[in-house]
Amino acid sequence: MSVRPDNRLDDGPMHQVTCAACSALVQVRKSSFEQTSIQWSDDALDTCVERRAASPRPGPNGETFSGCQSLRESIRGAVEHGDLPVQDDTPTPVNPEADTEASHA
Amino acid sequence: MSVADNEVRQIESDEAPTRFARGWHCLGLERDFADGKPHRITAFGVKLVVFAGEDGKVSVLDGYCRHMGGDLTQGTVKGNEIACPFHDWRWGGDGKCKAIPYARRVPLRARTQAWQTLVQDGLLFVWNDPEGNPPPEDVTIPKISGYDDPEYTDWVWYQTTIEGANCREIVDNVVDMAHFFYVHYSFPTFFKNIFEGHVATQFMTGTGREDIIRPQTEGSTAPKSTGNSSVASYHGPSFMIDDLTYHYEDAPDVPSVLINCHYPVDANTFVLQYGVIVKKLPGLDDAAAEAMARKMGDFIKIGFEQDVEIWKNKTRIDNPLLCEEDGPVYQLRRWYEQFYVDVADVAPEMTERFEFEIDTTRPNEAWRAEVEQNIADRADAAEKV
Repeated sequence: MSVRPDNRLDDGPMHQVTCAACSALVQVRKSSFEQTSIQWSDDALDTCVERRAASPRPGPNGETFSGCQSLRESIRGAVEHGDLPVQDDTPTPVNPEADTEASHA
Repeated sequence: MSVADNEVRQIESDEAPTRFARGWHCLGLERDFADGKPHRITAFGVKLVVFAGEDGKVSVLDGYCRHMGGDLTQGTVKGNEIACPFHDWRWGGDGKCKAIPYARRVPLRARTQAWQTLVQDGLLFVWNDPEGNPPPEDVTIPKISGYDDPEYTDWVWYQTTIEGANCREIVDNVVDMAHFFYVHYSFPTFFKNIFEGHVATQFMTGTGREDIIRPQTEGSTAPKSTGNSSVASYHGPSFMIDDLTYHYEDAPDVPSVLINCHYPVDANTFVLQYGVIVKKLPGLDDAAAEAMARKMGDFIKIGFEQDVEIWKNKTRIDNPLLCEEDGPVYQLRRWYEQFYVDVADVAPEMTERFEFEIDTTRPNEAWRAEVEQNIADRADAAEKV
């Protein structure tokens, strides 16, 4: 029994992203600005500084590391710089308050 | 239109696996096996006998006596051993034949299969490994601190046997955000999965649904639920702990722990068990707190019953056609595969960390509209009465 590939990868594959904080290399796919898939390798996980510094959250499932903030920012940066495509072609949302300030300026 | 445009997508599926997952499996509440009687459990394709000796220790052995094949589940507990009803051979929890009352001595190699057990937080677990190895030290079930906490209720527990479905169906649920709206009456607003090692986690935040009258609120002055936050992890192939907190309007949060676990009977049958402990609200006596836990359990039961109805009638599908608002079904199954291969064949991609956060924007728009429609329909119906 072998597991088939995700049909959604036919529309767009995973792309490599490097974390600005620790240089961990991960594979990322974004179907929209809010959706993110991250495939880590064991090497990347060993490299992650936040992961090593993390302490368990309370509760029986607290050992699960909820995610790396630096990597999240690096992924955001990769999208902004056009290095990481977003499948959904809806424009990247902008902060409406920032817009207002800009229009007042 | 080209031929490709007309092409019909075919459902593909291999047979359900004939081997059973390696890992800890919960058989139920320890107290249910502690009555000094043998209990018959059919799991992993075989009959097991579960019994507690006079010393209180619960043991799990193969159900058939190695002497002449007698059914140990119809035997008698004598001291710390299970006695076969056929010729009274006595088997200890370690699998060794301890005595044959009519024989001068026990023959050599008089040993049956004993299953490694774990009793923790009031639950009985057995370790299944088709390769026959003991559990690795890092493969454990975390302690549930609420269980020993007097501020929590005891387990309210449910069990149901599901025929005609492989247990992969229930494991799929951990990534299936949309079914939580359509089957379980919840309204997820945040949904993220993380798989790493032998643990698969789901982070979910939900909001209350105005169109669903929950048993907690029906005919009572109990506060209305405004939503819930949950962190649920499968620790291995079959045992999920859901750290679940309900939020209420003008009332304190109610933390609870929900267990969702199963063991396979055969390739197309499994026993689903679930249970809940709830933190007692201040001012609530024990009976009222347990009644509250029972109500919550009964509500969860409704959801599972709807799951069961779907599982019994659906087909096994290895190539689900997913949209971008679905969860990581394929990656979950890749994770789940690690429990069905020999340890030497566990590939890195089965255990390497994978994260998937769903964009709930579009689902939430659609669901808000549906909830509003349901409320409007109900108001119309009420007017006509």
